Amino acid sequence: MRRLPVYLLLDTSGSMSGEPIEAVKNGVQIMISSLRQNPQAIETAFLSVITFDSTAQQIIPLTDLASFQMVDIKATGVTALGEALKLVSTKIDTEVAKTTTEQKGDWKPLVFIMTDGIPTDDWEKGLQEFQKRKTAFTVACAAGNGADSKILKQITENVVSLDTADSASIGKFFQWVTASIGVSSTKVEDSGKEVTGFDELPDPPSELNIVV
Amino acid sequence: MEQTKKYIEKFLLQNNIPITSNKETLFNDFASNEDMISTVKIIQENQKKMLDKWRLKNRIDDILQQVIMLPNATVNKVYEAKIEFIKLNWNDVIFSEFEGLEEIGLQYDNNEDLIFGTPTASGDIKVKFLFRVDGEKEDSVLNEKTITLIINPDPKSLWKNKESDITDPHWKEDDVAVSGSFLDKKIVVASKRGRSHANVGSFRDDDFAYKNYEKNGWSVVAVSDGAGSATLSRKGAQLACELVVSYFEENFLSDKLEDFDEVIAAHYQESTAETTKKISHFVYKQLSAAAYHVHKELEKLATQTETVLKDYHATLIFALVKKYDFGYTVLTFGVGDCPIGLLSKDMSEINLMNWLDVGEFGGGTRFITMKDIFQNEKFTTRFGFKLVEDFSYLMLMTDGIYDPKFVVEANLEKIEKWKEFVDDLKGNNEDKLSVDFETSEEGIEEQLSEWMDFWNPGNHDDRTLAIIY
Repeated sequence: MRRLPVYLLLDTSGSMSGEPIEAVKNGVQIMISSLRQNPQAIETAFLSVITFDSTAQQIIPLTDLASFQMVDIKATGVTALGEALKLVSTKIDTEVAKTTTEQKGDWKPLVFIMTDGIPTDDWEKGLQEFQKRKTAFTVACAAGNGADSKILKQITENVVSLDTADSASIGKFFQWVTASIGVSSTKVEDSGKEVTGFDELPDPPSELNIVV
Repeated sequence: MEQTKKYIEKFLLQNNIPITSNKETLFNDFASNEDMISTVKIIQENQKKMLDKWRLKNRIDDILQQVIMLPNATVNKVYEAKIEFIKLNWNDVIFSEFEGLEEIGLQYDNNEDLIFGTPTASGDIKVKFLFRVDGEKEDSVLNEKTITLIINPDPKSLWKNKESDITDPHWKEDDVAVSGSFLDKKIVVASKRGRSHANVGSFRDDDFAYKNYEKNGWSVVAVSDGAGSATLSRKGAQLACELVVSYFEENFLSDKLEDFDEVIAAHYQESTAETTKKISHFVYKQLSAAAYHVHKELEKLATQTETVLKDYHATLIFALVKKYDFGYTVLTFGVGDCPIGLLSKDMSEINLMNWLDVGEFGGGTRFITMKDIFQNEKFTTRFGFKLVEDFSYLMLMTDGIYDPKFVVEANLEKIEKWKEFVDDLKGNNEDKLSVDFETSEEGIEEQLSEWMDFWNPGNHDDRTLAIIY
């Protein structure tokens, strides 16, 4: 079966502590419960969580929705976004199956990045690695005014921003991520085609500003 | 004696009252007093009791705080999870039970430390783990720890089965199954709306048609898969199949065929470059004319109804078969990603009659409604010819069957995979559903139709399978 890999890259730096990190945890939980009710998503979508603070870590390897269990995350340290981009690149290499004459490979992965700050490491080096990998699309979310959407714009053209990193806004972001994964999995299952761009995703709610 | 003394001395010191040397005798007398000895004893006993109580409370709290993850369950799927007491460092848990499992179809085996059963309800279920640790009284109230067990819904239950709109001008039946004769053999065909279509109440895009032509001794079978993204593809698929049947009915007349019969007979005697060339020429001429006729008719329809041809996008495969006294001639044409397989009588050989239009990226298939297929240099390779003494099965299928059962194109050339497929049809499958090719005279179409409901994650497209046997 062709899996639809989804990578969540979540900022867990110190500035996320308190309300934002709780909202992220909650957002992921609700997203999983909701996607489990979607017949196409529960069969095709596989999810991995990579967190980045002073270092990047894959806290959950690519896992099917049915067996997925969220682990606790804590906010501490700085913002190693570059390392996270490098890590997701190597994970795409090892976890996403390629199509050969003997097997049908996985669908191209979806990548969602959420950060509330400015990268503190050599993020451009990580970006160089990431750009060598094929994704169906990458969406970056700048949460609150501490994030630099100009930097995110260099990572992907699909950038959204939240005015504040409060639980309501973060919740809305995850709702939209949920809908986007739902649409993507329905599309690959029904028509055998991938979602390739922002315009095919559901309209973001008003809390999400599209950065042009 | 000495112990009591030490205890009181320490106690006095804690209260900043050191025993100076001039008070030693007085203190010795005080500490040796029976009354003091028993007071210290009572105090020490109480302290020990207090300590034990605290240790117990602390231990219970540790267990309550400990994160315990049970593997997720799924409704209607057998579940088993062992509580690893040793790994959890719960050796001092002397009694345990669960509350709230029965309601969701599960049980707890106290001796095996096992949660087991088949879940009946989905959700993030909070179950109570009740336990007693070593040191607690036997009649004490059990401690209560809440554990979340995630139970996924049965994926099958998530698919809705919405009726398609019967008032639509291009409506067609969601499921069709037929059987009959095909030359001196039999044919069974089933075509079903996929779950992805049923889930949203849309139509079956697949279609098929077959016919035995009395007047010329030929029979034809056609299968088509309407493109999911094309709005009228169900009509395109239906017409494509019907047009193939009607084309040969009107244009495959005996005067053209006598020469061909002679060539086939000669070819059977001795296959030469000349007979091969003549056959190729005939196959190309006749079948390409049929394919082009389908294309033109669909184009005409699009113009007449002010629609566009690409709305009717559909793949098309068909096989024309004739029985001679020395064997069967099979002529085929194919555009798209639907295979035609001819299995030898002894099941030792598979002839894949056509190559599939499978793009590097999904959706790279071609359709009969695309003009460029006729102009493309590969057009001449879309035809197949085979002369065999006999065969066990001739099968035509859409990708709704081929994707789950063969997975990749390469497998269509492997006889083992076809043998597995035939075994699967004969009942070697999870649901133990079989199609009885040997004895079933009636009802074989229902058998095939039921078999075709097989569950395969990620594969919920329309399914059409035509078998000549």
